[in-house]
Amino acid sequence: MSVALLNKNSHSLANHTFAIFDKARDAGIQISPSRTIDVFKSLSSIDISDRTQFQIALRVNLVSSKEHEVLFDRVFYNYWSNIPESDGDYILANSEMIRGDLDVGLSNEGHRDMLSESDSFADNEVSRKSNLGFRWDDQSAALQRLIRTITRKLATRPSRRRKISGRGDRIDVRHSVRKSIPFGMELLKLSTTEPKVRKTRIIMLCDVSGSMDVFNPFLLQLMLGVQKLLKNSRTMVFSTKISEITGLLKGQSVLDVLNEVAKAVRHWSGGTNIAEAIAQLNRGLLLEGSAKSTVLVIVSDGYDNGDIERIVKELTITKRHIRSLVWINPMYGASSFEVRSKTMKAAMPFIDEFLPAYNTESLEKLVAGLNRIK
Amino acid sequence: MENISAWKHPFAQISDTTRIFDQNNYIADKAISLTTKLALDLQKPILLEGEAGVGKTQLAKTLATIIDSPLIRLQCYEGLDASSTLYEWNYARQILEIRLAESSEDKRKNLEKSIFGEDFLFARPLLQAIRHSGEKPPVLLIDEIDRADEEFEAFLLELLSDFQITIPEIGTFTARVPPIVVLTSNRTRELNDALKRRCLYLWVDYPSPEKEKEIILRHVPLIESQLATSVTLVMENLRKMDFLKKPGVAEAIDWSKALLGLEQEEITPEILVETSGVLLKYKDDIDRLKSADLEQVIK
Repeated sequence: MSVALLNKNSHSLANHTFAIFDKARDAGIQISPSRTIDVFKSLSSIDISDRTQFQIALRVNLVSSKEHEVLFDRVFYNYWSNIPESDGDYILANSEMIRGDLDVGLSNEGHRDMLSESDSFADNEVSRKSNLGFRWDDQSAALQRLIRTITRKLATRPSRRRKISGRGDRIDVRHSVRKSIPFGMELLKLSTTEPKVRKTRIIMLCDVSGSMDVFNPFLLQLMLGVQKLLKNSRTMVFSTKISEITGLLKGQSVLDVLNEVAKAVRHWSGGTNIAEAIAQLNRGLLLEGSAKSTVLVIVSDGYDNGDIERIVKELTITKRHIRSLVWINPMYGASSFEVRSKTMKAAMPFIDEFLPAYNTESLEKLVAGLNRIK
Repeated sequence: MENISAWKHPFAQISDTTRIFDQNNYIADKAISLTTKLALDLQKPILLEGEAGVGKTQLAKTLATIIDSPLIRLQCYEGLDASSTLYEWNYARQILEIRLAESSEDKRKNLEKSIFGEDFLFARPLLQAIRHSGEKPPVLLIDEIDRADEEFEAFLLELLSDFQITIPEIGTFTARVPPIVVLTSNRTRELNDALKRRCLYLWVDYPSPEKEKEIILRHVPLIESQLATSVTLVMENLRKMDFLKKPGVAEAIDWSKALLGLEQEEITPEILVETSGVLLKYKDDIDRLKSADLEQVIK
């Protein structure tokens, strides 16, 4: 550890650094002991009274992807926002960087980042617009309600057949006339119909590769919600391999499920091979059941280095075995989102509904999108 | 591993790093300057990720220029294996040596030892970097690592953590002066976590219009400031469009040179279309540009 850390501020600096580590871990950034050591080595090379230098030194050591870079900046920003200025025993807490505009550090780095969009929102909007990547709060009632709605929408779809209903939107003349016979053919009450509801078989294919780490909390909540409500649904996770976790989604909370899944799925946070995952589905699960009632839901950011031709080939086969392909992309919904990855571009023609899941607000759009699934 | 070289890098302070990069025509922001300084202080590799053409490779080149040391470049591609990056035996010379040994009893006895010595080795980039004998470290650029296979990443782990390489017939080579390693990736696939953990990570984004203008003025000094500003604004608009390959800084510099060569004082929709081949590298992208509202693009 550097000489600078051994002065009277050292204890406080170490405490703050470890507190930031904790926050970063909570947000899903893995911090190994070797990285911790590297951070403290780095602190001896920088001017620790400069908050931006402190931030960059921590960031370059702790993160390994663009998403985590943005996530870390957010954690760092939030951490110092919650430290009162009176906490003056620490050199940074008194520095210009802490008192000044906290956005300066971020904008300096050129991060027109997607995940920090909520900075500009009013307080009452923050919870709806803040990114789902930060949400471990499985008790969030609004989010749970939305996931239940999404599940119901996924599970049911209107049939072309209709049934008599008091709240129907179409008059059934034949039924109305028949009902009027006892009253001397006087049409005292018109009968109406509404579409029958057909049950759907849902197969969820969730990307748990490293690039999706940020969204694991939301992903788990969605998988858990779907599995709880739809007993006949099947849930698979994939990175470079594919594993079925249907049986593991029996816990009461996200953390229970996470513990179970972490023990069983060793390839979590690995690379991505979407084509292989779809190929295995094509040769397995999708051969079972009726194509007419199967909806395949892929939750992925589409970052993959796979063979594009193979993805196209496998998706062509997939489409023969399913009724609809729904692709939920957790990055879609951010204002700066655009389809960049080659995999995503190749998959787009096969997707019936490409839906956002970036924040609670975009989940509401997702629900609307699900209404369009045939 | 201890560095036995007495060499000290020139970046004592962050401001020095930015200034020295600036003197070498590389406009580095605080993140790039600090990451470079930390990489040199901690002797850790830098992993630069970002879109093509944002200046990742140029950072390694500039670093080599600054410290006046050789740049050893390994361009990655699919199927790249250890032998083509590390060493190969000089088979022709080995056969010649065997023929010569046939005439002498003494030579025949020591034949095996001699033909598998360092003299019969073709050193490829990684071995060159490890065996570098100068006082200053070489800059080892492992370019576009995402194009290589995962097996190659695993192979790199020993090099990046210990700066040593093992050749079965000879033994282990340890770098006398650990190379400064810069890995770049266009993020066409996720890299292995083990590899990432060994590196300082930095995402290099497209530069801001102000920074890009400064870069253009450095590389195309004869261009008018007003035209350079227009170029950066057009570049910013183009990068918002849905292209297969968005134009990077390199394209901005080339386009500025093209506009200067064509003696253009301002950018018009016609000149944008005529020179679109400098900016865009796919026919679909060029067609998309032609069908866009060009007045809006050059605004």
